[in-house]
Amino acid sequence: MKLEVKNITKSFGDKEVLKGISFSAEGGKALGLLGRNGAGKTTTIRILMDVFHGDSGEILLDGKPFEPRKVQIGYLPEERGLYPKREILEQMVYLARLRGLSKSQAEKNARKWLDRLQVDADEKKLLETLSKGNQQKVQLASTLVCDPDMVILDEPFSGLDPVNSQILQEVVKELIAEGKIVLFSSHQMSYVEEFCQEIVIINHGEIVLQGNLEAVKREFGENQLVVGGVGFSGEDMERLIKEQFAEMVEITGRDKEDVIVRLLPGITRTELFRRLGNVQGLEVEHFETYKPSLNDIFVAKVGEER
Amino acid sequence: MKRLWTVMEFELLSYMKNKGFVITSVLIMLLAGGLTFLPRVIDMSDILGIEAESMETEKAEGVGTDRAETENTAEGLKTEGAETDDAEDTGDGEDVSSDMLRLGLVDEKGYLPDKQGLEKFFEDAEFVYLDSEKELKEAVEQDKADAGFLVVDDISYRYYVMNKEMSDDNQMRFEQLLSEVHKQRYCEANGIDYESFVAEYEAPVQCEETVLGKDASNNFWYCYVLVIGIFMLIVLYGVTIATSITTEKSNRSMEVLITSIDAEYLLFGKVFAGVVAVIVQVSLILGAALAGYAVNRSYWGGVLDPLLDIPGEVLAAFAVFGVGGFVFYAFLYGAMGALVSKTEDMSKVTGPLQMVIMLVYVGSLLQLENPDGVMMKIFSYLPVSSYSAMFVRIGMGKVEMWEVLLSGGILLVSIFAAGWLAAKIYRMGTLRYGNPVKLSRALKELKM
Repeated sequence: MKLEVKNITKSFGDKEVLKGISFSAEGGKALGLLGRNGAGKTTTIRILMDVFHGDSGEILLDGKPFEPRKVQIGYLPEERGLYPKREILEQMVYLARLRGLSKSQAEKNARKWLDRLQVDADEKKLLETLSKGNQQKVQLASTLVCDPDMVILDEPFSGLDPVNSQILQEVVKELIAEGKIVLFSSHQMSYVEEFCQEIVIINHGEIVLQGNLEAVKREFGENQLVVGGVGFSGEDMERLIKEQFAEMVEITGRDKEDVIVRLLPGITRTELFRRLGNVQGLEVEHFETYKPSLNDIFVAKVGEER
Repeated sequence: MKRLWTVMEFELLSYMKNKGFVITSVLIMLLAGGLTFLPRVIDMSDILGIEAESMETEKAEGVGTDRAETENTAEGLKTEGAETDDAEDTGDGEDVSSDMLRLGLVDEKGYLPDKQGLEKFFEDAEFVYLDSEKELKEAVEQDKADAGFLVVDDISYRYYVMNKEMSDDNQMRFEQLLSEVHKQRYCEANGIDYESFVAEYEAPVQCEETVLGKDASNNFWYCYVLVIGIFMLIVLYGVTIATSITTEKSNRSMEVLITSIDAEYLLFGKVFAGVVAVIVQVSLILGAALAGYAVNRSYWGGVLDPLLDIPGEVLAAFAVFGVGGFVFYAFLYGAMGALVSKTEDMSKVTGPLQMVIMLVYVGSLLQLENPDGVMMKIFSYLPVSSYSAMFVRIGMGKVEMWEVLLSGGILLVSIFAAGWLAAKIYRMGTLRYGNPVKLSRALKELKM
């Protein structure tokens, strides 16, 4: 299965919130939708789910117009919500039946997911009687109860403690392994980094970076090295590089006591390493390829703006 | 259709699991059924104006009571309190004089009979004879008399009272008295035997009535009850449906729902569940009342027939127009519910709708005795009011079949229009949180 979002635009009144969003997602791979608050992630997802329509653009599934109510989708909206005064099993079965499952299949699936998320003992309880974390797990179970081909999770980890986060991580990995399309929106970069092969970073309604996460990291870290010396603080290293290596590298950042540098055109790693080896009193501790974290990339791309 | 049924089933379960709904329904049902057994338990002959069943045989013998009373009245005037019983009654009355009316009387020319004759018409009053209009006024003003009469002649009088009460019937009684005096004096003056005159003058007229069309006097009460009933059902259930939609917005389950199924199914499912709940509730309550009355009819002496003996055509019209009107308003209530995101804001948007329903209700009740009037005719075609006006016209007025069909057609088209509009507003209002969306704004946005 392949989902393609092509050039979606959306305005609310005079405010243009999406300015041509395009990306694609494939089964068996998770796509991380990243961006600051108000960047347009949730709007993109809501247009995808036909909560409201985009002003222009199209969405295709396997090359055909995408109709979200005709495909089994597990949707966990940012605004969580179920019926607080109804029994958990009852409302999960209802949601599954709305998605076209038979009553018996809906009950079977509901029990499976309640068991998987360790809230099976509460199936006859009213939702409002559960703790916030368990309510969140019930919401996740409700998202998956229709046995979806595509899963869209908007901030799925918010409100979960580390133990429950671990359970959810395992579930998401299973979904990916089962070949489902997983769309993932989150501010928690570590989770995105763990699951997502593909990322899309949205800023002010525009895509500022997208592609395979490893490739993005590679490209972002290209020609950059982490350099550090024994007994040298970060400031010492920065001063040294500015004074003695200005014609070979430029400083791009700091990583604790190490300095991140980019090789200037025509300079090789070997040349730099030899020069460092000749510096009196410097014993090289770190000299390695810089591998940026997703957090670094995110901050570099959208963090400078106020 | 399967998914519509799923929504209906879920919403119906919501009614069935609502303790307030279940308890209220069962209690009213028991009350409606239980009340019909009342005449078996207590003697209600005074309240109902009938004799208890145990006295039915005696009742058959008691024909002509009214006439006997009339004769008694005439007798009372003529004999001027000669009977011993009357004298005793007066004595008893003095013991409880604090509860009795004190009436001043100025009758300078002596037109009226003495005290005993007066008390035939004023059993609960004692008369104080005064000599002049001035004395009479003073007595009333100083609270020595509750009211007072000054007899000018046998066909005119003056009435004095300090503060006249709503229930003041002194004049009516005094006029009856004066009228009898006038008749008696006329008879005496013309040599006519008063007793035979009264017997002929007040001879009961026998009538065998056959109503070939509709009897508005019989149909009035059930039409009255049905108008009130459908009004209450529309308001009660309308608010329930609107609240249910607002609750889904406030607890944020709306977004999951509308991404699972088309908004039309959600709204229609709620409305149809409301219709089923109404039909079940009304059937249980009405069924209990009708069954109870059928069992106990003889104890009621048929008194409730005008209320519960409803012709089939009126019941059918009530079912069609009542359910139609209910669905029409339920859709509109649903749309109103989607305009707010907090249940406490509900009254802000349902106010205009409630106003329309109230106007229709008051208008229908005011025109109930004039079912063929212009207002009722207009009401019977408008979708906002035909739910009550048309079955009133069918029950009590003259209405042609084409009028019923036309009104039904207008209502049907309006239901579809309301359903379509409500679904659009419902869909549009899905993610509108915060302040209530004004209806005018919602309609404007729908046009865009």
